[in-house]
Amino acid sequence: MASRAATKAAVDFTKIYSTLGLGKETVASLQAFRKRHADAQRIHGQLSQQPTTVDFSHYRSVLKNQAIVDDAEKLLKDFKPTTYDVSAHVKAIDQFEAKAVEKAQATAAQIDVELQSLQATLANIEDARPFEDLTAEDVGKAHPEILETVKTMVKKGKWTIPGYKEKFGDLNVM
Amino acid sequence: MPQLVPYFFVNQISFTFFVLVTLIFLFSRYILPYFVYLSLTRYYITTLNS
Repeated sequence: MASRAATKAAVDFTKIYSTLGLGKETVASLQAFRKRHADAQRIHGQLSQQPTTVDFSHYRSVLKNQAIVDDAEKLLKDFKPTTYDVSAHVKAIDQFEAKAVEKAQATAAQIDVELQSLQATLANIEDARPFEDLTAEDVGKAHPEILETVKTMVKKGKWTIPGYKEKFGDLNVM
Repeated sequence: MPQLVPYFFVNQISFTFFVLVTLIFLFSRYILPYFVYLSLTRYYITTLNS
């Protein structure tokens, strides 16, 4: 698990909390997960410090019933901790990790693309001239269909825009 | 020779014709369509705004 050790060393939780802009729920679940991990580590440390040997000679000298001490010693000697095959779990975790990393990378790439487009939009907005400085030519460039409409209108002999007078009034004296 | 007097106006007539044609061409091709274009643009951007 060299990769996992490297990940452990690289994770800086304060940075994750403060800079990544995570949601409240995500931060809470992350903190809960960290707490669980810390508790497990603490309990593991406590248990591993406890003595694992039994002083049978002491019990032999104290107890009258030697047979039960022998029985207990035999049971202890015969006791073998059950071994669990955790490789399947580890494999599943590794697969999950790989999937999560892949997903995260895909999301990061997608976000990069979105960011680029947003920055392009921002630059466009910043470079845009104010509405007062806009000319009819600019509008025509942005929407060539206006030019087309003018062409067809002139071809058909229509020189007025329907609804224009109602909207903007008329300066004609006659 | 008085019978030649009408021909003295050929110069004026031809120039008038030329100027008229030029003016009609310029107005119909460039100047008047520009007003339609301007009105249409104004109408269009006002529609966008509302």
